[in-house]
Amino acid sequence: MVADPAGDPRMSSPVLAATATPGAEASAPAPLPMPRKPLGRTLWRYRSLYLMALPGIVYFLVFKYLPMGGLIIAFQDYKPFLGILDSPWVGFEHFVRLFTQDTFFMLLRNTLFLSFLLMLISFPVPIILALLLNELRGIVFKRSVQTIIYIPHFMSWVIVVSLFYVMLTTDGGAINNLIVSLGGEPVGFLTDPDWLRPMYVFQHVWRTAGWGTIVYLAALTAVGMSLYEAAEIDGANRWQQTWHITLPAIRATIIVLFILSIGDFLELGFEHMFLLLNSMNREVGEIFDTFVYTAGIQNGQLSFATAVGLFKGLVGLVLVMGANTFAKKLGEEGVY
Amino acid sequence: MISRRNLLSSVPVAAAGALALSSCGSSSGSSGGGDDPLTWMAMLHTPSTPDASGPVQKGLTDLLGTDFTMQWVPDASKEEKINAALASGSVADVTSITELNNSSIRSGVTSGLFWDVEPFLSEFDHLKDIDSTILDGARLDGVLYGVPFQKILARYGVLIRQDWLDELGLEVPHTIEDLGKVAKAFAEGDPTGTGKSVTGFIDREESFKVGFRSLAGYFGAGETFQLDDSGTIIPAIISDPWKEAMEWYRGVFEAGGVNQEFITTQKENQQQAIAQDKGGIVVTGLFEAKNYVALAESINPDTSVEWTLINDITFEDVPRRIVSDTGGGVGGLLALSTQTVKTEEDVRRVLGYADALMTEEAHGLMTNGIEGTHYEIDGDGAVTIIDQGLWEQEVQPYSSSRLAENAFTYKSSDPYVNLANEMMEESSQYAITNPVQSLNSETFNSQWATIEQTIQDAYNNFMMGQASMADYESAIETVRSQGLDDIISEYTEAYEKFND
Repeated sequence: MVADPAGDPRMSSPVLAATATPGAEASAPAPLPMPRKPLGRTLWRYRSLYLMALPGIVYFLVFKYLPMGGLIIAFQDYKPFLGILDSPWVGFEHFVRLFTQDTFFMLLRNTLFLSFLLMLISFPVPIILALLLNELRGIVFKRSVQTIIYIPHFMSWVIVVSLFYVMLTTDGGAINNLIVSLGGEPVGFLTDPDWLRPMYVFQHVWRTAGWGTIVYLAALTAVGMSLYEAAEIDGANRWQQTWHITLPAIRATIIVLFILSIGDFLELGFEHMFLLLNSMNREVGEIFDTFVYTAGIQNGQLSFATAVGLFKGLVGLVLVMGANTFAKKLGEEGVY
Repeated sequence: MISRRNLLSSVPVAAAGALALSSCGSSSGSSGGGDDPLTWMAMLHTPSTPDASGPVQKGLTDLLGTDFTMQWVPDASKEEKINAALASGSVADVTSITELNNSSIRSGVTSGLFWDVEPFLSEFDHLKDIDSTILDGARLDGVLYGVPFQKILARYGVLIRQDWLDELGLEVPHTIEDLGKVAKAFAEGDPTGTGKSVTGFIDREESFKVGFRSLAGYFGAGETFQLDDSGTIIPAIISDPWKEAMEWYRGVFEAGGVNQEFITTQKENQQQAIAQDKGGIVVTGLFEAKNYVALAESINPDTSVEWTLINDITFEDVPRRIVSDTGGGVGGLLALSTQTVKTEEDVRRVLGYADALMTEEAHGLMTNGIEGTHYEIDGDGAVTIIDQGLWEQEVQPYSSSRLAENAFTYKSSDPYVNLANEMMEESSQYAITNPVQSLNSETFNSQWATIEQTIQDAYNNFMMGQASMADYESAIETVRSQGLDDIISEYTEAYEKFND
C-alpha cells in the first residue's frame, strides 16, 4: 500500500483531504497487479467449467445474439437482394404505419386479452392439478393419472386442433351430433367469434397443464413430512394443511415460474392461433404473431413485419421487468 | 507449458468457428462450368425423396449425357426455401421456380440472378416449339427468365356422383341452373338410399380461390384479373359476374346444397367427406375422379361409386368458358443461375439438357418409369402401373419436373384417366387466362395478399349468412384505399402500354 494522503499530517487543506480520501482508496492499488488477477486467473482457475459452458455460450452468441443484429431492418426498407448494407433507411416509418393502422388496436387488444386469459386460467391449473395429485394415496393410480394428463404435451398443435375440429364441426362432429340429438341447435364452435377464446384457452390448458405439473410435483416432494405431522397434532384438517404448509412451501417455485411465463406473455404461439383462425373469427383471433406471418412471409414486407415483432418484444420486456420488480417488492427472489 | 495449454484450450473455439463458417460456405458452393455435377433445385410433391441412384435418375443421366444432383425442396416449404435461396443469392445451377405470383419470389427472379433464355431458345429442337402464348404468360416484365414449365391450360370442371343421379332419376346437368337443382336435390332427397343426410357440393376453406372461383368463371368472371367494358383492368373478385355467382352460391348453400362449415374444411377433410359419401358434387381438377374412386375403393372394395365428369357447364347466355387454374398453362420457370452458369457456352450446354428432357424418352421415364418395373403396356397400348408403391417412390417425384406435362399423353387402362385427359384437352379452347399475368404492378406485389384476404373474409361471411352483399361492397371500398385503386391503375396503364 502506498501512503494514505489523508493520513499525512503535512496535508493541511481539509477540503483536499476530504476529497482525496475516497479516491485514494480506489486508485491507490491500481499500479499493483491486482486487477489483472480476477479475469485472467479466474478464467484459468475455472477453465474446465468455462470450457463446459463454451458450447452454450457459442450457441447463444450465434443463434440468439447475432440474429438480433437483423432487427436493424425494422428501420430500413429492406430488400433481400440489396442486403442490410444497401437497403435504404426509413427511420420510424414502419412504426408510424403500425401505430396509425386500424388493425393495430385490434391486434393489441386480441394479444393482450388472450395473454391475460392464459395467465388467469392456464397458469394456475398445473398448480391445482399438482396439489390434487399430491393428495392421492394410491401410487399406481397417481402415476397413471400423471402420465395420462401429460401425454397431450407430446402432440403438436396440428394434431390438437384437428382433434377438436373433428369433434366440434357442425358437419357431423360428435359434440354437435350430441347437442342435436338432445334437441338443441348446432353450435358453430369453429366459426362463432364468441367461442374462439374459450376454445383457445381450453386447448391450451388441455395440452400444457399436465406437463406443467411436473415442476410443482418435484417441489412438493421437498416439503418435510414433519410439518404435516406437527400440523395434524395441532388439529389442522387437510384443507388447512394445504393452505398453511403446502402452498407456502412451493410459493417461491410458483413465483419464479410466474415471472418466467410472463417472459412468454405475448408468445401466444403462431401455430396454435393460425390453425384456429378463419374468416369468421379473425376479428377476435388475429394476434401479432399471425399478423407478422401474413405481412412478412406471405406479403414479403420483411421490414414492417420486423417492426411489429420488435414492438411485441418491447412490450414483453416491459412486462417481465415489471413483474420481477413487483416480485422483489413482495420480498421474493425474482429471476435476476 | 502454460502457453501450450492455452493453445489447446482455444481449439474448441476455433473448431466451433470453423464449423459455423463451413456451414455458411457449403450452401453457396455449386458449379455449372467445372467438372462438378450440375445441381437442380426442384419441388418434391411426395412424402419421401427418391434415391439418387434410382432408375429414373440413372436413365435421365444417360439421356442427358451428364451427371446431375437433385436438390429436393418439399412443396409445402417451397416459398420459404426459394425465398431464402434467392435472398442469399445461393441458387443451384438450375432452379425450378413455381411460385411466380409470390411477390418476393417475383422480385427476386427479376433481380439479375437468372439468365434471359429467350435468345437461345431457337437453337434447340424442342425448346423452339414452345407455344407463343405460353411464352407470353411466362415473361416477367417482358423478359423470359427461364424455360417455362408447360401445363394443361384448364383442368377444372365439375364432378358429380352418377350413381346418386341415377338413384334420384336426374339428368346430368350442363347449366348452372340445373347444377344448383341437383345440389338441392341431393340435399333434400335420399341419393344414397340409406336415409343418411348428405349434401350437394363438398367445398373447402379455399373455396374463394379454388372451387368457387371456377364456378364464378361460368358466370363470366375472369382469371384473377379481367378487362371490363370501360377498358380498365379490374380484379375478378370485384366484378359483377363474381357477385352474381356469390348470390347464386349462397342460395344453394342456404338450401343445404353445400357442406355447411366449408370455411373450416381442409383439403384432407374434404377428401374424407367425399370418400365417406357426405356429398356428391365437387368442383375440382377433372383428373381427381380417378383418385376419388381409388379412395372409395380403399374403404370398400365393392363400392358402387361412379363419377361423371362435366366440362361444359354454362350460365344463361354467357358463352362456354373455363378459367385457367394453372396460371395460363405456365407452371413456373426452369431458371439458370447467372452466378454458376457463367458463360453463354454454359447456358447453351445446360439448355441442351433441358431440351433433352422434352424428348419422348425422358418424358416417358418421368411419367411412367421403366417398362416391366413400374408399368406395363397391354394389347391396346394402354399403360397400367403394376407396382403403385414403387412407382410413387421412384417415379412420381420426377413427374412434377417435366417441362411439358401435356406433351405426350398415354392411354391408360383406367377409363377415368383417359376421359379426364380428353376433356381437359377439349377445355383448353374455352380457357380464360389472366390478361396481366406477365405485367408488373408494384402495389400488387406488396399489397395483394392483404387485399385478397380482406375480400375473402367478406366472401366467407357472406356465404355463412353473417353479412350481406352491401357488406361485401363496403369491404371492397375499404381496400380501395389500401392499394386496390393503385393496382387497378398500374395494371391498366401497363396493359395499355403493352397492347399498343
